[in-house]
Amino acid sequence: MNENLHERAHQLLAESIVEGLRPADEAWLREHLAACSGCAQEAAATQSVLRALRAVPVSVPRDLAARAQLRVRLRAQQSSPAATGSFWLWAVTAASWLLGVFSAPLVWRGFAWLGANFGVPKLALEFGFVLWWTVPPLLAAAIILHQKALTAEWSNKN
Amino acid sequence: MTDDTQALATGLRQRDPDLLDRLIEQYQQRLYRYLLFLTGNPPLAEDLFQETWIRVLERGSQYNGKSKFESWLFAIARNLVIDASRRKKISSLEDLGDPDSNTPYDPPDERAASVLQMLVSRENEQSVQLSLLKIPAYYREVLLLRFSEELGLEEIAGVMATPVSTVKSRLYRGLAALKTAMTEGAA
Repeated sequence: MNENLHERAHQLLAESIVEGLRPADEAWLREHLAACSGCAQEAAATQSVLRALRAVPVSVPRDLAARAQLRVRLRAQQSSPAATGSFWLWAVTAASWLLGVFSAPLVWRGFAWLGANFGVPKLALEFGFVLWWTVPPLLAAAIILHQKALTAEWSNKN
Repeated sequence: MTDDTQALATGLRQRDPDLLDRLIEQYQQRLYRYLLFLTGNPPLAEDLFQETWIRVLERGSQYNGKSKFESWLFAIARNLVIDASRRKKISSLEDLGDPDSNTPYDPPDERAASVLQMLVSRENEQSVQLSLLKIPAYYREVLLLRFSEELGLEEIAGVMATPVSTVKSRLYRGLAALKTAMTEGAA
């Protein structure tokens, strides 16, 4: 049989695996394989390699999925609630700032009343007034930093 | 878009942890096999497996449901493999890019075929597995996606971000390279 025919058969065999054949080529190949035992063996061998490729055994480490699930859940907890939490933090901060602005005259009057009735020195009153405004945000910042440190420590452990 | 992929896209956008748990269970075998065959390194494959799912969580909103989920998943995994190979300088993975797609395909010669027949007649699956690890990663990848994952040519092109013609070329060359590797392994 002509060498070119075998070559064509091999080429069509590869094409049939990769992208499929036109009906005419498929019919020609079928006819050739029926008549040529060498090419028929090549076709059978190629199919066996493909079967082996499909059956390549890979065993997944037993706890891999569980570890991935845990990491995904931790990441989801870290990012999603934090995003929600930061919204509320900004909202509360804004409300607090507005309340602070509008209540400042009242608070100052309260401090003045304390000074007048209990003889507190003016410097102490001013210091107290400054603390009145700075302690709450400093406490809030400390709480946030502490929470972040705890979260980081937890995720490192896991 | 089917109802299933639509529901999947919605769940991923919402970062639904239960959905992700199910997906991890469902795709663990396929994803791990893909990563293992690309890297040839079990510990690295395990790390990348976990990183892939973190990316799925973080970039879930980018899945539009128009393609198969597994194509999107493999594309994420592939990018992580490329990043890791650059960071860790893994020589076998240095080029998952386009090797030599302009050269015409040469069909395998008769001698290679005869040894192939001999090998297959022994039903030596382990030989196929070993030979796979001997061929370049860009061929190994495309063979795995086509014949193990049974993705279509266009889906593979989507995973690899290359034209379909490149995918075909790599499949032809990959099959030839696999046969050659098996021939050399048997010699």
